[in-house]
This record gives sequence, C-alpha cells and structure tokens, in this order.
Amino acid sequence: MTQAATGEKVVVRADDIRKNFGAVEVLKGISLQAKNHDVISILGASGSGKSTFLRCLNFLETPSSGTVAVHGEEVAVKNGRPQDQRQVERVRRHLGMVFQQFNLWTHRTALENVMEGPVQVKGLSRVEAREKAEALLARVGLAERMAMYPSQLSGGQQQRVAIARALAMEPDAILFDEPTSALDPELVGEVLKVMKSLAEEGRTMIVVTHEMGFARDVSTEVVFFHQGRIAEKGTPDECFNRPQSEPFQRFIAKIR
Amino acid sequence: MHPIEVLGTYWQQFLTGAGITVALTGLSAILAAVIAPLLALVRVAGNRWAQWPLRLYISFMRGTPLLAQLFLVYYGAGQFRPTLEAWGLWSFFRDPFNCALLVFAVNSTAYQTEILRGGIQGVPPGEVEAARAVGMTRVQTLRRVVFPHAYRIAWPALGNEIILLMKASAIASVVTVFDIMGRTRQVFAKTFDFSAYLWAALLYLALTAIFIALWRLAEARLSRHIDARERGVGTEAVTRGAGA
Repeated sequence: MTQAATGEKVVVRADDIRKNFGAVEVLKGISLQAKNHDVISILGASGSGKSTFLRCLNFLETPSSGTVAVHGEEVAVKNGRPQDQRQVERVRRHLGMVFQQFNLWTHRTALENVMEGPVQVKGLSRVEAREKAEALLARVGLAERMAMYPSQLSGGQQQRVAIARALAMEPDAILFDEPTSALDPELVGEVLKVMKSLAEEGRTMIVVTHEMGFARDVSTEVVFFHQGRIAEKGTPDECFNRPQSEPFQRFIAKIR
Repeated sequence: MHPIEVLGTYWQQFLTGAGITVALTGLSAILAAVIAPLLALVRVAGNRWAQWPLRLYISFMRGTPLLAQLFLVYYGAGQFRPTLEAWGLWSFFRDPFNCALLVFAVNSTAYQTEILRGGIQGVPPGEVEAARAVGMTRVQTLRRVVFPHAYRIAWPALGNEIILLMKASAIASVVTVFDIMGRTRQVFAKTFDFSAYLWAALLYLALTAIFIALWRLAEARLSRHIDARERGVGTEAVTRGAGA
C-alpha cells in the first residue's frame, strides 16, 4: 500500500494492545491503525482474540496495557480502568458499533432505535432525528418496517437496523463484530450488500468477519489474528495470493 | 340483623375505612417505589461495604413478622417519647397512621428492592452494551435501557407485593388505625353481627380486583414490544441463536 507517508488522517490507532482475562493473555501486543476510508477485515479462528481487540477499541473492554487513540485523542487508562468516563463516552460517539447479535433495544421500534443515539447522546431534536432516521432506514431498505419492533423483524433486517443505528451517530469509523455470523445463510447477503455500499462511499470500517468474499473483494486491508498476535497483514491481494505466514496459509487452505 | 341491613346502616364507616386502607397502602407502596430502585442498584453493583448493611436490613424486614415491626415502632416510639419530643418528631410518631405508614414503607422497600434486583439482572446484557457503545452515560443507560426492561420483568412480582401489602395493612387496625379492618371492628362491637367481617372481606376483594385490572393494563403497555410478535405482523426465520 502506498498510503504510509502521505499524511492521510488516522482515525483509530491502537498500540501494543494486551489483554488478560485472569491468567489468560488473549491479546499479546496488537498494533493497528485505521486511516480515513480504510476498510480493514480482521480474520482469525475463534479464540484468536479478534473480537476482544475490536471491543478494546471502544472500551467495551479495557486493554490491560497499550494505548488506543481516536482522532489523536489517547484514552487514559489507570489501574485497568479508563480514568475519565466522559472521555470514553466521547470516543464512543466517534466509533459506531455493530454487534454479532444485533443488540437492538427490543422495547423500541426500528425507528426509535435509530433515533435514540442522536436524541439522547447528541442532543438532536426529535424532529430532526426522526427525519434522519427515516432516511437511513430507507437507505438500508427498511422504509416499510420502521414502526416494527425488533421481535417482528428477521435477523437480517435487525442487523440492517443496527447498521442504521450506528450510522445515525455520524461516526468516523464503524466497528463490525462478526455482523453476519448469527444470520441464517440466506440472510447474510442483504447485510453484506449494505456493508459493501458503505465501503464504496468511503466509510472507515473495521470488520471482524468470517466472510472471505468480503475480506477479499471489499476491504483495503486484511489482518489475520493468530493466538493473540497479528500473524499476517497486507492488501487482500498480498494476503490471499501470496500468504507469508504458516498459520494463515493453513487457515485459507481450510476454507477453500 | 340482616347482612344487607348491616351494610345499609354502616356503609359510610366501611367507605371511610376503605379510604384509609387505600391511602396507607398507596403511600407506603409509592414511598418504597421511590427508594427501592436505588437500593436495587446497590444490590446489583454496589461494593461490599454497601452490600453488607443492605442485606442485613432486607433479611430483617423479610424475616420478622410485620406485626412485630409495627409494635416495635408504635410502642417503641411511646417509650422514647421524651427523646422524640426533643427532636421534634413526636407529633409524627404520636399518630398511629404515621407509624403504620413508616413501617409498611420500610418493609415494602425491602421486598421491592429484591424484586427489582431480579429485574435488573434479567436485562439483556447486549442491549446495555449497545447503549454504552453509542456513547450513553451511565445514567442514560439506566434510564433508557436498564430500567424499562427491569420494570417490565419485575412488574407482575411488584403487583403481587402491593396486593400482599394491601391485605397486610389490616394489621394497622391493631394500633388503632381506622382502616377497613378498624372500622369493621367498630361495627362489629356495635352489632355483634359476623356479616360485618363478610363485608370487610368483600371490600378488600373489590380493592384487589380493581388494582389487578389497572396493573394488567399497565403491564400490557410495558410489554407492547413482546405482544407485537404475537399480533403476527412478524417474520420468516429469525436468528440461529449464538454464533461462532
């Protein structure tokens, strides 16, 4: 890649992130940065630490050591806890998140789910937030289902609402934590389509995924986690056609 | 005396008694409802030093008879009258209604705290995470996500607790509060007719029936998002459950 020294804006930077759960070290020093318009796919077997790493970026987990900076603002950590809760909340506003299990607020309709962040966190008026939410839901193809509760929607529809909910905050980057892993196979496509369109409009995305097609065709960078470390990193072309590390070679051999 | 005659003669007594019963139960339930959510949060997330006295209080309230608690305050207050007078509290404790109100509120707080604790622990953790991820403060997360779920989960049990409290409030008549039971004892003392107690029982029954109807209405409103699914606007396949 040629973007290295051209002064592109770094949205998220993680340096030497380590994370222990008790005596188990799940992350053993991960460094990664996402610049504007990057679409980074994080691959790896279950237990390789990829989801934990993603959750460290918006402090749903606090790294045991190492630093995370969003827009150059480094989040201060002391004694295994963020020092300033307000700073964490501020950083989270810049990073949308889409979960494996969607995690929509089940007591609110699709529209209310999308309006909630802008109204509560950003202080938008309900009228404004509503207009925006309607546009976003139309964008993810759910114009007809805005008044429905999550329990009335299919998994694919719920996940698209969740993407609209993340977009409503106008984040600088969106974190996707295995967004299609909980979906029935026939529903995966509709979610991937939306994600692809986001990538095409230049959104910065960090995607933990098992979808090799997405990693290969949509992302600008592929990162492969192996036992808490980055074992392979490069463009999709480099990684898939000329894999350097032995674990990644084994990984893609198994998938083919 | 014919039972109808008893009612015909003394209906006003019964009615004022019902007013007192409703006021006593309602006020103590509301007082408890204001404090219980805060204590429930301490039970869920408080540190050891906050937990310990709270658990002691809850086990005392749940493990001793309400009548004993009432006597403790009502007769206890009498015994400490000089001290209470010095603190300016005697005018409060002199009134048996106030004593009963205090005891019932403190007692119900213990029960409601435990009920709400269960509700809070039943909130889907993923939805709390989604609230945090969107940048909500702790208070916003509680107000917008945790408590709406917790109350929906705890609602039937809370209703149950209030019904139990209403029936237990008859105990207040023992310290001369003229609630339904207090009035009924007066009526019985005049008539020596057992039907006074029959009317009292029916009055309690009517109050509970009205309360249950109202509570169910509220429950239906709280559960709109769940009922929606049964209305069948719903869908094809949903999710496969936990993924990889």
